[in-house]
Amino acid sequence: MQVIFIDSEGMKTTITAAPGDSVMHCATAHLVPGLIGECGGAMACATCHGYVGADWSRQLPPPSTQEREVLSGCLDVQPHSRLTCQITLTAALDGLTITLPASQT
Amino acid sequence: MAQIAPLLPEIDFAYDDVTNLHQLLDALRHHGPVVRIKFLGAPTWAILDHKLLNQAFNDVKNFDASAAYRLNSEPSMGRTLLAMAGEEHRTSRALVAPAFLPAKVRSYIQPLIEPVAHELLDRIAGKREVDFVQAFTRPYPFTVITRLLGIPVHDEEILLQWAVKLIDFPWDPTGALEAKKAFDSYMQTIIDDRRHKPTDDFVSLLAHAAFEGQKLDDERILALFRLLFPAGSDTTYKNGGSLFASVLADPELRARARRSDQDREALVTEGLRWQTPTAMLPRMATGDITLGGASIKKGDWVLFGITAANRDPAVFPDPHKFDPTRDNRALISFGRGMHFCLGMHLGRRELETALRVVLTRYPDIRLKPGSAIEFVGAVLRGPRALWVQPYGDA
Ligand code: HEM
Ligand code: FES
Repeated sequence: MQVIFIDSEGMKTTITAAPGDSVMHCATAHLVPGLIGECGGAMACATCHGYVGADWSRQLPPPSTQEREVLSGCLDVQPHSRLTCQITLTAALDGLTITLPASQT
Repeated sequence: MAQIAPLLPEIDFAYDDVTNLHQLLDALRHHGPVVRIKFLGAPTWAILDHKLLNQAFNDVKNFDASAAYRLNSEPSMGRTLLAMAGEEHRTSRALVAPAFLPAKVRSYIQPLIEPVAHELLDRIAGKREVDFVQAFTRPYPFTVITRLLGIPVHDEEILLQWAVKLIDFPWDPTGALEAKKAFDSYMQTIIDDRRHKPTDDFVSLLAHAAFEGQKLDDERILALFRLLFPAGSDTTYKNGGSLFASVLADPELRARARRSDQDREALVTEGLRWQTPTAMLPRMATGDITLGGASIKKGDWVLFGITAANRDPAVFPDPHKFDPTRDNRALISFGRGMHFCLGMHLGRRELETALRVVLTRYPDIRLKPGSAIEFVGAVLRGPRALWVQPYGDA
């Protein structure tokens, strides 16, 4: 399966990923710029912020209260902002496209 | 279990200066990823390998952080975030997190962080040479915290005395408990005031925070305030010293520090890797576990070798080189997992702001020629002193 990252300047990177991995880990493992993931997925660092398109957003489980709270403190938050460490890949998410903000911090 | 003798038994990593720490860690690495060294007079495990350290940080069953923090500091510090686990930690952290998230921390830069930097730099105006640790890097993060807490300038000195005493509990229990009483009653007045008349400040935000139907009671707010000084001030100040020591020593790095926000972010990140302030973090094992060939038993002390992991050659090529262009996403200076540093954004913005303001105010500042810089400490690490000439050779 594939995950597509688009950075704030429109540069596209396509990654071959495996179900079960988190989107954050998939990006950092392939050195995709624009995302850090410094706490390792504990919702404690707020450096894995990404925008999920409206269509994809509907296919994801909604964010937990804790994720929503951390998101509300990120920069340039949009309606479909997510912490990418909280999105676990499934086969159904093949082609998932994440746009990254200009800055995480 | 047979007592395994420590390597390098002539060195006590708790008490000695270990100016050559990174050389020692390289030598220890040859013996394995988890080794035995001497700490507080006793043999202690030390994790040196990045992958294993990452695993240990995330293993809350066998390395529950709260065990060590409760033992060393709960009587005077109270139930801080570090002394909590599980659901209690999750909700308490969620209640205080909004005051430390990226957007909020950005809003502190102009009205709060920058003015503190300027005030401290005003005081060195006209001086030919100063110890930059005493004059700037040490008071800077401390003052940022007192301003966040709404403490007036004329009380900063007494606050500093109490804050320093609070963590002395293992050596001076009476003094630490007295400091706690004084600190609490002082801060309680500010909390009461913001509960009744909220403003848009940091204390008001905490006093009125809500998460999943919970609010912060006074003791939980006080426990956070007590923790902010050791967690946020000592760490940031040690790193500020190391950062300026590197940047001022190299014309290329110095030019980069004057360039852009992104350049300063990269320099700060590399500074945090190259000379990590939280060099080795004492933990207590809370379960029996075999890690990197070492049989660690419940109750054993284990040093989380953050600074060793940050120079693990398997993760950071040419690790001893200060290189702000490297990929630093594996940086482990702020820990990992549930106790990951709450103040990471604040600490970084303070350090980036310091680089910008110092080099704008004193563009010719340089290290005093001929004065050697010694980095000391294996728990908290930074330069002992940093003699600079604010006006260069003028
Ligand atoms: C450059 C500076 C800093 C470094 C390297 C640093 C490092 C760390 C590390 C390694 C931890 C995890 C401790 C553990 O797992 O046992 C931690 C936790 C913490 N830090 Fe920082 N820190 C820095 C600055 C700050 C600042 C500026 C503040 C706040 C003003 C702060 C507040 C905290 C708090 C409250 C915790 C506990 C979090 C929890 O238990 O959930 N730190 N820090
Ligand atoms: S990786 Fe830290 S919040 Fe997602």
